[in-house]
Amino acid sequence: MLIRNILHYIKEAFLSIGRNGWMSFASVSVVAVSLFILGTFYLVNLNAEHITAELESQVEIIAEVAEDLTAEEIEQLRVTVIQLPEVEEVRFVSKSEALQRLKERMGEEWVEGYEDEERNPLPHSFEIRTIVPQDVPVVAGKLEKIPGIADVEYGAGVVEKLFRVGSVVRWIGLTFMVGLAVTAMFLIANTIKLTVNARSKEIMIMKWVGATEWFIRWPFVIEGIILGLIGALIPSLLLYYLYGEAVNWSQTNINFLPLLPSYLVIGELIKLLLLLGTIIGALGSALSVRRFLKV
Amino acid sequence: MIEIRHVNMVYPNGVRALNDINLNIDRNEFVFVVGASGAGKSTLIRLLGLEFPPTAGKIKVLGKELTRLRRREIPAYRRSIGVVFQDFRLLENRCVYDNVAFAMQVVGARPRDIRRRVPEALEAVGLLDKARMKPQELSGGEQQRVCLARAIVNNPSLIIADEPTGNLDPKTSMEIIEHLKAINIRGTTVIMATHDREIVNALKKRVIALENGRIIRDEQRGEYS
Ligand SMILES: Nc1ncnc2c1ncn2[C@@H]1O[C@H](COP(=O)(O)OP(=O)(O)O)[C@@H](O)[C@H]1O
Ligand SMILES: [Mg+2]
Repeated sequence: MLIRNILHYIKEAFLSIGRNGWMSFASVSVVAVSLFILGTFYLVNLNAEHITAELESQVEIIAEVAEDLTAEEIEQLRVTVIQLPEVEEVRFVSKSEALQRLKERMGEEWVEGYEDEERNPLPHSFEIRTIVPQDVPVVAGKLEKIPGIADVEYGAGVVEKLFRVGSVVRWIGLTFMVGLAVTAMFLIANTIKLTVNARSKEIMIMKWVGATEWFIRWPFVIEGIILGLIGALIPSLLLYYLYGEAVNWSQTNINFLPLLPSYLVIGELIKLLLLLGTIIGALGSALSVRRFLKV
Repeated sequence: MIEIRHVNMVYPNGVRALNDINLNIDRNEFVFVVGASGAGKSTLIRLLGLEFPPTAGKIKVLGKELTRLRRREIPAYRRSIGVVFQDFRLLENRCVYDNVAFAMQVVGARPRDIRRRVPEALEAVGLLDKARMKPQELSGGEQQRVCLARAIVNNPSLIIADEPTGNLDPKTSMEIIEHLKAINIRGTTVIMATHDREIVNALKKRVIALENGRIIRDEQRGEYS
């Protein structure tokens, strides 16, 4: 009984896709285009997030230690800082190490005359990394209140801006994706509506002889799902190929901004697209067939 | 079998199509519903077919109160009645056999039962030899006989027919009526709306006359007017 019905549904769905060849083709194309844009956006967004995170993870806090502390007091200070819950890592940078770095960066002549321990004007400092980059400003605030810390510096503006931009991008992206998905859904609904119209007499007779609502609905839902799935398969394959190319290209041309490797994202993307295609197709057809089932 | 109590039907546009209808129809009856155009015949038939609920009143068919049926109980109810329309409503792209088989397929009948029942139903209306023809290749009377076969194929206990002879000439109309009579004799209740005077007077069956949505006459072995 059940298997017979399922076979009937699938047969009906394919028959009617064949019957409405052009319309089916059109709606598959629209789903494909929508999901292609959506998929592209998804990849761009994912990589933007990835790059943002890369940059953010490089943000650290520099806390200068007050001049007059003893080695023990400095060690105590380090323990205090590492015990802050948001803090991931604390590294002590001594006066001489700081000077050494300055020398490497700027050249011999910059540090000439200051290399002696007594005359080194640079303070001891801590380099602090937080577990999540968002906590940088919070931790900086806490550090400022700790006695023994003379000065706190971090790329204040950068972190906050980066984050604000990041979440704005995310929200625009999300809105955009939802908009596209809904558009695609209505397009499928319209295609199915044509099928439904072409078969309104059959539907009417089915109702009159006592077919259940789901028996009437299933072939259309399956038709929608098939259209949605084909529509999702095309951009999946296309993006699979294109993203692979993009990754290759970026590795040779812009290796300072590494794209996420293909194997990490493309599986998820294809799953997402196929799922969306299915949902779009199913919802679209459910939408258009509902009206005919009013008793 | 059918109990109609104080039924009123007012369409959304305000037209009162039925006004305080009270009726009892027994199993195996053959009932004509007659009246001028606009009297409310179709509305009564459509209420029995559950196309919409009455504005007021109760309709009980086969022990089920129609206004109390839940949505998912409606298909089962429809399987227990057969419907025949004035305009046939056959599927043009399917042959006679498939049109009749369709009614069984869509209610999930077993293929074995379909292969047995469809020829029986076609035989009953004398169309077995035209089983592979398309509806357009048939005369109007033959098309309506296909509809009769489709209406009885699921063994309903009630047939409702709204002017089934409305598009047919008198001779063909009588043929259809003979088939309906035969169906009735084999144990199916028949309710038929018509304004065909000759048919009604020829059959001497129960006649319910409507006028402006009211029953003005209800006679056993009645005449058209
Ligand atoms: N769907 C409808 N909407 C509004 N008014 C309707 C509708 N169907 C029928 N009517 C009105 O209801 C009355 C009865 O119609 P109907 O039951 O079709 O009569 P009959 O079948 O006897 O000709 C008529 O006045 C008709 O105009
Ligand atoms: Mg009428």
